[in-house]
Amino acid sequence: MSPDPESAAKSPEPLSRDVVVQNRYGIHARPAALLVKTASRFACEILLEKNGVKVNAKSIMGLLTLEGHHGSKLRILASGADAADALQALAELFEQKFFED
Amino acid sequence: MWRIAETPRITVADFYEAGRESLELDWEANADQAVGREITEVALNRPGLALAGFLRYFAYRRIQVLGLAEMTYMGSLRPDERQQRYRILRHVPAVVLSRGRHMPVYVRKTAGELGIPVMRTRLVTGHFMNAGTVLLQNLSSPRIRVAGTMIEINGMGVLLEGEPGIGKSEIALALIKRGHSLVADDTTILTRDSTGTIQASAVEITREHMEIRGLGIIHVPRLFGVSSIRGAMRLDLIIRMRKPTAEEDDIDRTGLDTATRNVLGVEIPLVTVPVAAGRDLTNVVEVAALNARLKQMGHDAARELDERLKMVLSRKETSS
Repeated sequence: MSPDPESAAKSPEPLSRDVVVQNRYGIHARPAALLVKTASRFACEILLEKNGVKVNAKSIMGLLTLEGHHGSKLRILASGADAADALQALAELFEQKFFED
Repeated sequence: MWRIAETPRITVADFYEAGRESLELDWEANADQAVGREITEVALNRPGLALAGFLRYFAYRRIQVLGLAEMTYMGSLRPDERQQRYRILRHVPAVVLSRGRHMPVYVRKTAGELGIPVMRTRLVTGHFMNAGTVLLQNLSSPRIRVAGTMIEINGMGVLLEGEPGIGKSEIALALIKRGHSLVADDTTILTRDSTGTIQASAVEITREHMEIRGLGIIHVPRLFGVSSIRGAMRLDLIIRMRKPTAEEDDIDRTGLDTATRNVLGVEIPLVTVPVAAGRDLTNVVEVAALNARLKQMGHDAARELDERLKMVLSRKETSS
């Protein structure tokens, strides 16, 4: 691939934020859908990482494979122009317990 | 797009046309009076009591059915009295004689004077009363005409809706080639029948035809065989197709939140599908129909997976 000046301008190092799953049932279908909907509003690439496993935050089935139960620690990684906003929006969902409980 | 339901006005001619085969109807007299003659009370009545002289509560707005009992009774009267009694029928919408009976001469004379349309049915009175009542109810059932293409997919009636040009007819065509059947292209009539089910059918004049951009109008059964079309079908699922948007708030990503739309008072499951370039929508529509059928049978994949997930996640929590 030829070097793209625009993507070079993006931070090559992803921004990250550590979060804890706080809702009772963990990341089941509804929270996963909420995460995907929120993540899909941003152009940046967003990954969710648990125990070294990374999945795309814009994929429901991917998120479900993380088995993010109550109390598990995850890291959100975002790279792209709107990465900071994306981190903030997703972390908010974790803090709000995905509006469950 | 969805017009207010209309309860149709039914004339004697409508009743005759709809029941000619199933009720085995034939004209006996005054067929020319049937057009535009409205049936204001959509039901049948046996006028035995009224003919015997008890006129209070006589349901004269209904179609009157003269069976063996009425005819025998009237036959027992003196001619002048008989003619007098028959005059009570002068305001009724129509008269039906059962058991294929022809009018006695005196009835013919009276009917002629009164100008009432008279039909005869080959059915026995009891059977005619039942079948005729159902027919009248279906004729008078509320109906709407909607913009959408109606397809039968493996026994499921699916209405495809979306803006013109989004590809409803092309998807219908692809489904027909896979062995499914067309009910109506582009414009579908929905009615609520007497059992509370929504029935979909085509507008009579364009039935069996489709318009494909670039090809024009095609005749579906001649191209694909008689199994490629069907007359009427129960509505089980509405699939709304629309262009992708930034928000996609109306898209159910899990399948847990089944949306419905109220059609003539009945809630019909509604699926919204964004149409992105390169997406094989024929497949998506076909699977949506199958999945809706699974749900009708009591299997909800999304719910079952979610239950299993919750169980696994809570087990993980206690073991960690």
